[in-house]
Amino acid sequence: MGHQWGMVIDLDRCTGCEACVVACHAENNIATVGDKQAAGGRAKHWIRVERYYEGDFPDVKVKFMPVLCQQCDAAPCEPVCPTFASYHTDEGLNGQIYNRCIGTRYCANACPYNVRFFNFYNPAWDKPLDLQLNPDVSVREVGVMEKCTFCLQRIKAAEIEAAAEKRDVKDGEIQPACVQSCPTNAMVFGDLSDPHSRASRMAASSRGNKLMEELGTRPKITYLQRESWNGDENA
Amino acid sequence: MATKTPEQINEDLLRPLSVVSPRYFVALAIFLAVVIVAGSMFGRQIYDGLGVTGLNRPVFWAFYITNFVFWIGLSHAGTLISAILRLCNATWRRPVTRCAEVITVFSLSIGASFPIIHLGRPWLAFWLFPYPSERGIWPNIRSPLLWDFFAINTYLIGSVTFLLLPMLPDFALIRDRASGFRKRVYGFLALGWRGTPKQWHRLETAMHIMAIAIIPVAVSVHSIVSWDFAMAPVPMWHSTIFAPYFVAGAIFSGIAALIIAMAGLRKFLHLQEYLRPIHFQNLGKLLLVMSLLWFYFVFSERLTGWYGNEKYEMSVFWVTQRGSFAPLFWTMVFCNFLLPVPILAIKKLRTITGTVIASIGVVIGMWIERFLIIVPSLTRKYLPFSWGTYRPSWTEIIITAGTFAAMALLYMLFAKVVPIIAVWELKAGQSVEREHLETILAASEAEAGAD
Amino acid sequence: MASVDSIYGLFPDPGSADRGLKALQSAGVRRDSILVMSPEPFEGYEFARSDRRSSMPWIAALGGLVGGVSGYLLAWYTQVAYPSRIISGGMPLVSKWPSGIVTYELTMLGAILATIIALLISAKLLHWKFDIYDPEVSYGKILIGVVDPASESRMDFEDRLRDAGAEKVKGTGRFNLA
Repeated sequence: MGHQWGMVIDLDRCTGCEACVVACHAENNIATVGDKQAAGGRAKHWIRVERYYEGDFPDVKVKFMPVLCQQCDAAPCEPVCPTFASYHTDEGLNGQIYNRCIGTRYCANACPYNVRFFNFYNPAWDKPLDLQLNPDVSVREVGVMEKCTFCLQRIKAAEIEAAAEKRDVKDGEIQPACVQSCPTNAMVFGDLSDPHSRASRMAASSRGNKLMEELGTRPKITYLQRESWNGDENA
Repeated sequence: MATKTPEQINEDLLRPLSVVSPRYFVALAIFLAVVIVAGSMFGRQIYDGLGVTGLNRPVFWAFYITNFVFWIGLSHAGTLISAILRLCNATWRRPVTRCAEVITVFSLSIGASFPIIHLGRPWLAFWLFPYPSERGIWPNIRSPLLWDFFAINTYLIGSVTFLLLPMLPDFALIRDRASGFRKRVYGFLALGWRGTPKQWHRLETAMHIMAIAIIPVAVSVHSIVSWDFAMAPVPMWHSTIFAPYFVAGAIFSGIAALIIAMAGLRKFLHLQEYLRPIHFQNLGKLLLVMSLLWFYFVFSERLTGWYGNEKYEMSVFWVTQRGSFAPLFWTMVFCNFLLPVPILAIKKLRTITGTVIASIGVVIGMWIERFLIIVPSLTRKYLPFSWGTYRPSWTEIIITAGTFAAMALLYMLFAKVVPIIAVWELKAGQSVEREHLETILAASEAEAGAD
Repeated sequence: MASVDSIYGLFPDPGSADRGLKALQSAGVRRDSILVMSPEPFEGYEFARSDRRSSMPWIAALGGLVGGVSGYLLAWYTQVAYPSRIISGGMPLVSKWPSGIVTYELTMLGAILATIIALLISAKLLHWKFDIYDPEVSYGKILIGVVDPASESRMDFEDRLRDAGAEKVKGTGRFNLA
């Protein structure tokens, strides 16, 4: 069996700084859409930080939860695609073939996490942002869906390098942009098929649970719930 | 009906093909203008992208898919109803069948264009077709959209045939009575119909088989349309009741569309003696049954959802029941149930005007129903952080209006080139009736003779 | 006009058409060489009876079978023929339930197409050139006639058709009376 890439996100460590969101935009050539379009719900953030509050001000408990594609093993987005643009890779990722996408947006409706994004217009970048496009990532044209790839370009680069050096990919060698940029190390990426990888060991934590697991989607991201959420915030 | 000679029937029913009033051209121009405007809006949408619509994340489907379900639903007017009436040998069906079948063909074509209109890259729609490509890639049989592709194409081929076959003798009729260019065109369309007993016999057998085949196809088409939603794990979409619920709704709106079309034809083509109050009354009774059935489905769906009290479903449930979609919800209940039921249940009100008012209500109500099935669920899909709203853009509204204009336009054009009431079927119906009367008369005379 | 010889009467109503048919039969003309054309089916009348029962329902069923089998094969082949083994939503490569839908639709399509083809062939449609036809049929007349009658019996047929109630008796070919 090949690699099964997965992620663990420790909500106790997430400060909601959104560095992951910025890093993701930069790494994956995600176009910004401007304030008006964003207000209309057309912003494309492959990863977003959801904020949940409990209680009344000033006694508020806040939970930040980074939500990105959960790379489900039984992904509802995949079988509904009429052209196989949305499919499952051998390494357990929800692949999206931009060139094969005709824009039915069915995958986005079927996705319970709302982590699929549609190009309502052709992408455009304000100057000088157009000069920082990542040459390793294709730019998506109008009318196609796009989504988090777990930074596939980085995974592939590491795998090719490892193969050239005739070795396996080392645990921790691959870091998607969001993981790399997280100042509190709240996110850990790794191979779930290797029981000794850091991600596998953390995912086994008693705090671990998966987002809306009850839908039967078998997500590959494990959230470590906030312990302080249940106890005293300042303890 | 006061018996008319076959020649009178010929003249009455063929008259609309040769007489055109200025009013006709005015109406035609208006509808054509709306269609052209809508078409240019679609052109702009292709050029700019779907950003010109009100769609957003998470509401990725709205007006266009509503129109898709609505028009595919209306298409059940014809073929299904006319097939059922044919198989039941309901004699009153004869003037009704063709105008119903025409609705099917046109509204199905309009409905089937929406999955293409709504695509992000509509120029690639042909990728749904399972053709062998040099890259050896195929469409995904597991996608409900592909089921749609197969079902709609089967239904379209079936219903076009179902409409065309009984038109052959009428084309022959026009061929023989016309001259010049018209004679050549209709002569070609008649496919060499001569009216030999063998041709009549084979035609009726073929129509019988088609009627049997088209009913399960029609049921499957709207079931599959419902599965576009029911296959996705979206609150209030993911439901086993959807297939029969959609089929019932489709027949419901189909009958309403048929009543409206018939009233229009009756008025504008002066067919008062052919489309008589009895037809409206009978269809009105069918509409009443479907209205009650519709209410039963909505009630079961709502009751099960409410009692189940599942948190994600309840957020959709309440936004339609009390939230921002509530005004639409209660308008729908009024249009589909509270308005038509009393009109259609009380015999005095079940007149032509009455049934038309009820039908207009139903058509509006059923459009809203489809909107309410699709949009509220998407605005309240799971994680509250990504809940959304939807407001249609002018592009969507005008394209929607354009499809109604397109329907009227196609219908008007059709009624000018083909007799909208099947001439030979009507005559055959009269002959059967006359024969029936003669046997009764002969029997009573024989009885009198025996005394 | 037509090169085929024929003689026929145009009858105003099905009753007289039936009499015309009997008159020709009593003159020794075989039923299957009597030509009939009518503006409506006139079920129940002798002249409107067709030669034999049609096998069209069986052809439709056969078409359905062919359509269904090809539908399943299509659903199966397009998934296994894919360049790489496609996994989608954790479903099997050839998923039975969705394949069933495609199979069903193509079954119905096969039945419909078979019916159309059977009709076009068996009712001799798509032949636009007629040897014998009279547009009067479209004005409500029923045509009863004989194809290629023996020349000596021509007068006899003409009389018999007239006696049975034919409004007009016409002929084609050598008998062109028009």
